[in-house]
Amino acid sequence: MASLGEENPNDTLIFMDLAIEQAKLALDSLEVPVGCVIVEDGKVIASGRNRTNETRNATRHAEMEAIDSLLQQWREKRLSASEVAEFFSKCNLYVTCEPCIMCAAALSIVGIKEVFYGCANDKFGGCGSILSLHSSSSEPLMSGGAPPGKGFKCTGGIMASEAVSLFRNFYEQGNPNAPKPHRPLAHQATQ
Amino acid sequence: MESWQIVHIPDIPSIPPDQQPTVDVIASFIDPKVANTLVRRLNQIAQLESLRHVKRVQKKFVEGGRTQLSVIICLASENGNPLDSIPHDVQELMNSYQLSPFITKVCKYAALSKEEWEEQCKLWPTSYHPPTYNIDGITGFSEEDSELVFGFMKYAIQLAKSGANTVVNAAVIVDPSVKQVIATACDQLNKTTLETYFFKKPEASISHSESDGVLSYETPHSNSLPNYSKQLYTGVCCLYPWRWAEQQSDTNSCSWHPLRHAAIVAIESSAARDIHLFPSLGKIQDKYGEMDHTQSSSAGSPAKRQKTHSTNVNDEVHLDTDDEGSSSLSVRPYLCTGFDIYLAWEPCIMCAMALVHQRIRRIFFAFPNPNAGALGSVHRLQGERSLNHHYAVFRVLVPEEVLSKAAAAENN
Repeated sequence: MASLGEENPNDTLIFMDLAIEQAKLALDSLEVPVGCVIVEDGKVIASGRNRTNETRNATRHAEMEAIDSLLQQWREKRLSASEVAEFFSKCNLYVTCEPCIMCAAALSIVGIKEVFYGCANDKFGGCGSILSLHSSSSEPLMSGGAPPGKGFKCTGGIMASEAVSLFRNFYEQGNPNAPKPHRPLAHQATQ
Repeated sequence: MESWQIVHIPDIPSIPPDQQPTVDVIASFIDPKVANTLVRRLNQIAQLESLRHVKRVQKKFVEGGRTQLSVIICLASENGNPLDSIPHDVQELMNSYQLSPFITKVCKYAALSKEEWEEQCKLWPTSYHPPTYNIDGITGFSEEDSELVFGFMKYAIQLAKSGANTVVNAAVIVDPSVKQVIATACDQLNKTTLETYFFKKPEASISHSESDGVLSYETPHSNSLPNYSKQLYTGVCCLYPWRWAEQQSDTNSCSWHPLRHAAIVAIESSAARDIHLFPSLGKIQDKYGEMDHTQSSSAGSPAKRQKTHSTNVNDEVHLDTDDEGSSSLSVRPYLCTGFDIYLAWEPCIMCAMALVHQRIRRIFFAFPNPNAGALGSVHRLQGERSLNHHYAVFRVLVPEEVLSKAAAAENN
């Protein structure tokens, strides 16, 4: 079963469920409820959830937390850069909300294999909503011989309603800390 | 480069005024007598949320001194026959007034200049609000402010080449209201550089930027002056975000990180400073509440929001502090609200978005990043209108002379 990995739709739901568990942990800590897990070969090897309020660092999104925790593990194993790159290229990310532009870029930089997300992120989304950083072909032609960006396969809409209802809970309870957090549900910006 | 210069990099690529993006709308000629009632009703059932700059009614003078009115009924659907997608209640309204719809084009975004506005009105009238807000600097810098900008930029460039053997990107976060360095960082792909900057530099620079407004700093040591225009600078993360995987393992550094670009590390450092100086959140939170309220009540253009934003920041800065930490510290701002960042190189998209998240007010960079730059070179994040925060972006042109002087100082 493990070897079927990303091909099995049941697994996708199981992993997304774990990502939602992470998002709930964020909600319990009064953080914007986004959570994720990173899966390699059918096994969850890292998880993360939003910690922007706790750290007062608005870049500490679930994805960044999970990537950091993975790097920490691999650092302890003293893996080389190329080994780490190879590991990342076998990893899939399951995240409750479409990665923002920053996280999508980070996922491209580390070279993640595939991303599955819940609801779309109309304001910040980097995997189709605002920019499409996952599709390397959309990157403008690089000059000066720089290697082109790495794309990754990206599938949205998995258990989106669960992800959305967490956001709804969050905004009903109110974010005590941030004037303008992610609002995947918000209306289009009006100009 | 002969002399220092600060160039504002505007929010949108300069497209000719007559090539502005448009959207299709469904419109109809109407009898002037019913205009008021009809427009009121339409505003209730078919608001043009995304087209607030577009006037609902177009008035034209036709032959014989007659006026002809037409009204926008609703947005035209992009898929299929637009007339089939008109909402039911709108359709009923059209029927009851016996309107005959047609498709026309209006400009998608609000005009940013008078020239754009004049072009827009040729299609369909729009409203134009000349920018009333001003993130300091968009309309120019005073001599004093320019000197500060140059001083901080010089500092960032020196940090960038202060490493043992490679030039990296460097970031200096500054609170311009008190002319104080909040955090500094260099790229930290390799952790050996972390010890050097993360712990020592911020202290050093804070103590060296005194309140007399003149920034002084120790010149970091370096062996060579990089030729900024010709070299590849493969050590600059934002220039080569994907190159980390190719790096040779340094036997001395067992820890490195592909995402520790200078801006990201500087944000982390400023957040750590914030927690250190203001361990409790209590009082500040109330202030956010107010800020949030003011901001959201000025819903509408980012311009308005920006104005409220900076006003609040100023208010905060001038409030008395709680005597936490040193007396030169201002009241804790929300994230990096009101702060500027100086970067040697234009940031990549990851860093540029991180700076949006952290609410940086202005970005100054010295060298463009043709490979992956997100502030005008490859992407132009400051022009993404959906984002909830917008910073102003400036490129600082650094005279060669300054770079050579810096080199001479380093060789001493």
